[in-house]
Amino acid sequence: MGVTILTQFPTENRTGPHTIDVLSKRIMALGALQQGQFLVDCETYTSVPQLGPQRTVHVLHNSEQPATVFSLLETGTKTIPLATDGLFDLLMMKMSSFYTSKKQTKAESKGPRYEIGDFCVKLGTVTVSSNFKGILVEVEYRPCVVPAMCWDLLKEFLQGFLGLSGPTNPPAYLQNRMQEIYSPIDTIHQYLEHFTIFRKSPGIGMRA
Amino acid sequence: MERDLEQLNSALNSIKTLRSNVRRVFESVSNGLRADHGDEGKENKYILELQELLTTVNNDLRDVENSVANLTPPPGAFSLGSTTSLSQETTHERQALYGQLVNSYKWTDKIHEYSALAGNILSTNSFNKTYKTFSTTKRRKTQTSNHNVPSDVIENLITSINKLFPDVTITTNRPFVPNPVIQASLGRVLKASIAFKGLMIEWVVVKAHAESNDLWTESRYKVFKKVTENCHAAMCHFHSPMMPDLAVRSFMHWFHSYNILFSAPCKRCGNHLHNNLPPTWRDLRTLEPYHEECK
Repeated sequence: MGVTILTQFPTENRTGPHTIDVLSKRIMALGALQQGQFLVDCETYTSVPQLGPQRTVHVLHNSEQPATVFSLLETGTKTIPLATDGLFDLLMMKMSSFYTSKKQTKAESKGPRYEIGDFCVKLGTVTVSSNFKGILVEVEYRPCVVPAMCWDLLKEFLQGFLGLSGPTNPPAYLQNRMQEIYSPIDTIHQYLEHFTIFRKSPGIGMRA
Repeated sequence: MERDLEQLNSALNSIKTLRSNVRRVFESVSNGLRADHGDEGKENKYILELQELLTTVNNDLRDVENSVANLTPPPGAFSLGSTTSLSQETTHERQALYGQLVNSYKWTDKIHEYSALAGNILSTNSFNKTYKTFSTTKRRKTQTSNHNVPSDVIENLITSINKLFPDVTITTNRPFVPNPVIQASLGRVLKASIAFKGLMIEWVVVKAHAESNDLWTESRYKVFKKVTENCHAAMCHFHSPMMPDLAVRSFMHWFHSYNILFSAPCKRCGNHLHNNLPPTWRDLRTLEPYHEECK
């Protein structure tokens, strides 16, 4: 598990599939090989009023860690991350009387997954309740585990691949954690940040 | 050389003509009078013919003597001692031995000559960057063996290296008593398994922290495979049988420069990535980072 940077790529009046096509042509030209597909999804549950102050649980799955269910509990003051095995999904179903999900908020990012050298690149089409919302590009540099050490290197890769749309600063979530050892839950945090922004943004209105 | 060969060739040719003309004399003598001498004065004709042939033989002989006189005698024969008797071998399958022997002698002779030349050239253009002194006057106390040293000597060396760099942590295990295998982890960047043979470094494998400590499988990451390759090159470069402890120390010093493997840009091109790899080479003296293609 290496350091992962998640960044949004502007669609600029192009359709989602067309943007993915442009990006995948670029990455293939750099010498990448496609290694299957990927999927990250997120479902959000809110507590019923009888439980006191409202709490939110985000349950996420990442195809890179297929046997793990990640969940983030927002209590309003802090966020508690939890990594569990697949049975957690069943537990959430059992708790449906305390935590209810809003079906129209199910967000997911899926698309092709590429490998190029030690990098792993994923081009995700983001949909919120099957409405197309935008493009998320995930780049992982697998040999390195400390974000501060390889941020410049990743920035160079991202700018070489995304051009001016590449990020100039580390993702907000990582900025306070640059010296810590990166773990899969950090990727999940970044996805949730982006999904939250996409949910609030008005839909582009195109079906993916 | 060229001229010698030419002369030898012409001498051989004149011998050939001499032989063929001598043969003609004997032919003529053995045939005696022939029908084509006719009837009248056939004896005279025969004698004339014989005289002519003998004159040519005489001339040829003079040619041979001349060309032989021009030849330069070879500078001393190969002295192969009693092996020359091999050429007198009568058994058929052993007759070839002598020729082979002479050939291989020529080979070794050539190798000797070339290596002496190469030694001269290399000693004037030294590209070795470790400072080795082979002078007999300043020679340090020679160790009897670098392979078989008491384990406390190695232990001292390893602990001294451990103290040298604060961000290198070394753990030792000893599958075979005098030959330790150490795991040197360099900050949070990488770890290396280094196998010792006595005081000398025998094998190095560089891997990510999450990978196994196995000495025989290489890393699954391209960047660490490349670093492993470069470590092998450095291990050979720093190898010094006269001062094995210095060799290990220099190697570890060089190895320590990988603590900025991911964060340092290449000294030559200024970029982080080339072929999707960070600068994996470190200059052996200045320890500056370079891409493999930029060094």
